Amino acid sequence: MTNPPSIKAMVQAVPRSLGSYGPVLEEIERALESPQCNLSTIGDAIQKDPDLTARLLRLANSPFFGFANRLSTVAEAVSLLGIQQIQDMIVASSVLEQFKGVPDKFVNKDSFWRHSLAVGLTARLLAMERRLPKPDKFFVAGLLHDVGRLVLLSQAAEWAQAVFELYQHERMLLRDAEKKILGYDHQQIAAELLQSWSYPPVLVQAVAFHHTPAQSAAKLETAVVHIADHLVNAMGIGSSGEQFIPPLDDRAWTALGLDPEILPKIIEAVDIQILAVEEAFLKKGTDGRV
Amino acid sequence: MVVAHDVKNIDGMLLAPSGCQLSERQINILQAWGVTEVEVEAGEEMAKAHDPLSQLPPATLAQITADLRGRFWKPDDFGPVPAQIYKLMLLRQAQRILHPPS
Repeated sequence: MTNPPSIKAMVQAVPRSLGSYGPVLEEIERALESPQCNLSTIGDAIQKDPDLTARLLRLANSPFFGFANRLSTVAEAVSLLGIQQIQDMIVASSVLEQFKGVPDKFVNKDSFWRHSLAVGLTARLLAMERRLPKPDKFFVAGLLHDVGRLVLLSQAAEWAQAVFELYQHERMLLRDAEKKILGYDHQQIAAELLQSWSYPPVLVQAVAFHHTPAQSAAKLETAVVHIADHLVNAMGIGSSGEQFIPPLDDRAWTALGLDPEILPKIIEAVDIQILAVEEAFLKKGTDGRV
Repeated sequence: MVVAHDVKNIDGMLLAPSGCQLSERQINILQAWGVTEVEVEAGEEMAKAHDPLSQLPPATLAQITADLRGRFWKPDDFGPVPAQIYKLMLLRQAQRILHPPS
């Protein structure tokens, strides 16, 4: 092997399509731009995809949202969850689908997504506890925090193999093995990818520095993802390839400004919600989509 | 049973001070005043019954402690919050052994 690929080259090789959910997302965006747009127009766009409709209703009726009454139509779900949240969920599903071809050799994909979903929902719970605006944005940030690793596995398999071989032979964090072999780590790859997808800068920062929150320009948002990742690793819910629980920066907890007494409540909520979120996102649809 | 907090009637009159041992006679008096609930201090046995770590066989406890410690990166450098998370994870693991999730 010569030199490792540049981050830019790897990211540019990732297909830009939003997978099979793309047409629905495009239709929702078109509907939102129309002066005649209403909730039923959005509901109609989603209902054209039966698998997406089933997933959406499953999630909307799960403990993740905790509505007292059962939601039976997409229009009800859209009106209660909000269009932005629905778009976030569809984008999340599409990212899952986009990387489904990545081989399971070094990282089991189901375990990877279980870990990512758990970090997403923990980040959302922490953001809600801290009363931060738009807590669902944190779900997306948590869900995508390790996506850089999937880019490496899918676009530079030989280099990924070199990283994992080093990791298996020396006691070190996987991120340090990445830096030693590649000169950069999965945080930087993810940041480049999310930037190229025009994600909000705060979200890019939260992902780009989730292991090194003190270096982030968005300290509070990054602290949320950093703490969520630490908690989920400690709980042992899935794995993105790292077998150790990466260290928690106490300064991040200070930046978040929550009382540690809330931790048992958060851990209990994660244990309850993860099953529902997995069911909604990871259960194969009728058409075989993940 | 030892009373955990002062028990007063509706007018604020002290019926049983915090720390007093409740006898059957005192319970009858409290009932006569219409007291239906009194907080009592948890005895050693009761506290033990609620501590999942003390319910595990010592070998199992040693095993889950070693496993968890082995998974944390540099556990000797813990700050206060990671130390608390470590403790909570140990309790969670013990609970899962005693009451496996369905």
